[in-house]
Amino acid sequence: MTLSQADFEFVSQLVKREAAIVLAPGKEYLVEARLIPVARQVGAASVAEFIGNLQRKPNSADQRRIVDALTTNETSWFRDREPFTALTDVVLPELVKSRGSARQLRLWSAASSSGQEAYSLAITLQEALPAGWNYEIMGSDISTEMVKRAEAAEYSQVEVNRGLPAAQLVQYFERVGAHWRIAPHLRRNVTFKHMNLVAPLPPMQPFDVIFLRNVLIYFDVATKKSVLRNVARLLRPDGWLFLGAAETTIGIDDNYERVAAGRTSAYRVRSAVPAGAVRKG
Amino acid sequence: MSVETVVTEDDLAEMVEQVWASYLDPEGVSPLIPTADADQPTEVHSTVSITGTWHGHLVYASSMQAARKAAGAFLAMELDEVGQEDISDVLGELANIVGGNVKAMLPAGCFLSLPTVVLAPQTASYYPAAERISGLWGVWDGEPISISMWQSTKTGDNA
Amino acid sequence: MVIDDSRAMRMILKRIVAKLNFEAVEAGDGQEALDLLSTMTEVPELALIDWNMPNMNGLEFVTKVRAEPRLREMTLVMVTTESEQSQIVRALAAGAHEYVIKPFTEGAMIEKLALLGLVPTGANS
Repeated sequence: MTLSQADFEFVSQLVKREAAIVLAPGKEYLVEARLIPVARQVGAASVAEFIGNLQRKPNSADQRRIVDALTTNETSWFRDREPFTALTDVVLPELVKSRGSARQLRLWSAASSSGQEAYSLAITLQEALPAGWNYEIMGSDISTEMVKRAEAAEYSQVEVNRGLPAAQLVQYFERVGAHWRIAPHLRRNVTFKHMNLVAPLPPMQPFDVIFLRNVLIYFDVATKKSVLRNVARLLRPDGWLFLGAAETTIGIDDNYERVAAGRTSAYRVRSAVPAGAVRKG
Repeated sequence: MSVETVVTEDDLAEMVEQVWASYLDPEGVSPLIPTADADQPTEVHSTVSITGTWHGHLVYASSMQAARKAAGAFLAMELDEVGQEDISDVLGELANIVGGNVKAMLPAGCFLSLPTVVLAPQTASYYPAAERISGLWGVWDGEPISISMWQSTKTGDNA
Repeated sequence: MVIDDSRAMRMILKRIVAKLNFEAVEAGDGQEALDLLSTMTEVPELALIDWNMPNMNGLEFVTKVRAEPRLREMTLVMVTTESEQSQIVRALAAGAHEYVIKPFTEGAMIEKLALLGLVPTGANS
């Protein structure tokens, strides 16, 4: 089944407005192919139904989903760079001090997509943690397909070009046919789970660091509140939450406090971190 | 080791998809659509040869119009400005890019030649003692394109 | 400086670096690039270097540049279809700072240059 002319026109105008991309007439099949997984994800029976709902009741989250699906946005390694630098320079040194007896860290890459963020975290820890420390990283995604892909840990040539320094490509990946696969010593520290952040979360051990980036932008305020509340329960009292550059807890959840972390910001649960200068022991 | 198991048609298809996503169709609106039509005509082609532990060729062939469009996309030129030299250069680079990626999937110790471009149908070139082992046929905006791998048979005593 | 025997590839690379406000000079192989460098009073900040080229290949060029004190400040990025792990290791060992495998998207190239501090913050998407 192909997209109706009116639906195609609606999508064309949307992506032209939002992303300055022009979809030439005749690309209906392509729009349809890209939007089938999106429609499925939001629970619509078909692309036509998904677009119909959106036309009747416009919402920015679904509009964004469409734009994303049509703009071939591969995930980069160390996306936005700064949070990873902050992890190395600020967060890990502090955690190494406070977790000296356990020597074990747990990190969560929420909405991990095809796994680049989770494995970028693994590379960061591999290089920054002192000898004798262990870490586990959990990635979670709403798409079981993405969970499978992240577990397979295989990336195309084009994907490994994105933001990954060549020295790390040769050190942490192995070539498998046309692809590159994350090396086993890194892979064994990373697991992936299927999880819907909007539904009640399964019981889990708390995390020292949570990366929840470019997820909240898809939700309305009520959903943002509930996700942030759930996440706070899974963050250790002195843990760190990283959001996307365009996201904040301010005005949504007052339990969090924004703190400087290197050249970026992170969020910590308020009661745990007394305001004022950090005393050095 | 037989190369069929090393570089499959799926591998070629994936490389082609990446070349399209990078240079010929960065917005993802005009992909190469597979046709599996081995008899589709070509008007121009380019070849890179692989030597060393494996011997053979990778051939990129297309219609003149597809080559002109590819050159226009690479060089950011209008189609009517594209000249023969532009077409040769772009055809050569396309074979080089796919060939280099193919080489990385072959046993270690192979070398890639510089590309050769012929502005004539693929049937004008004859690859002595080589047989076609893998290939991909498709249309891009209605214009035929093919990518094929040829293995030299005379050095095949390690098969 | 953009060094590639394919004019098409040089065009693509020039278009990308122009977006980062680099003005690029071109060379068709390593020898031509060295000859050009010897006439230039100001050493380019960045060289994007293909591997397989006639006369002098990119790896030889990198080795020669690294041995030349006058060219020490140049950032060297291999941009090539050579994609075996061993080749990347060889290039890095010879003194290349980064390595981009063809095919690459414009975004990927800009991200690689950002890793090298060659992209003003905010210019990257």
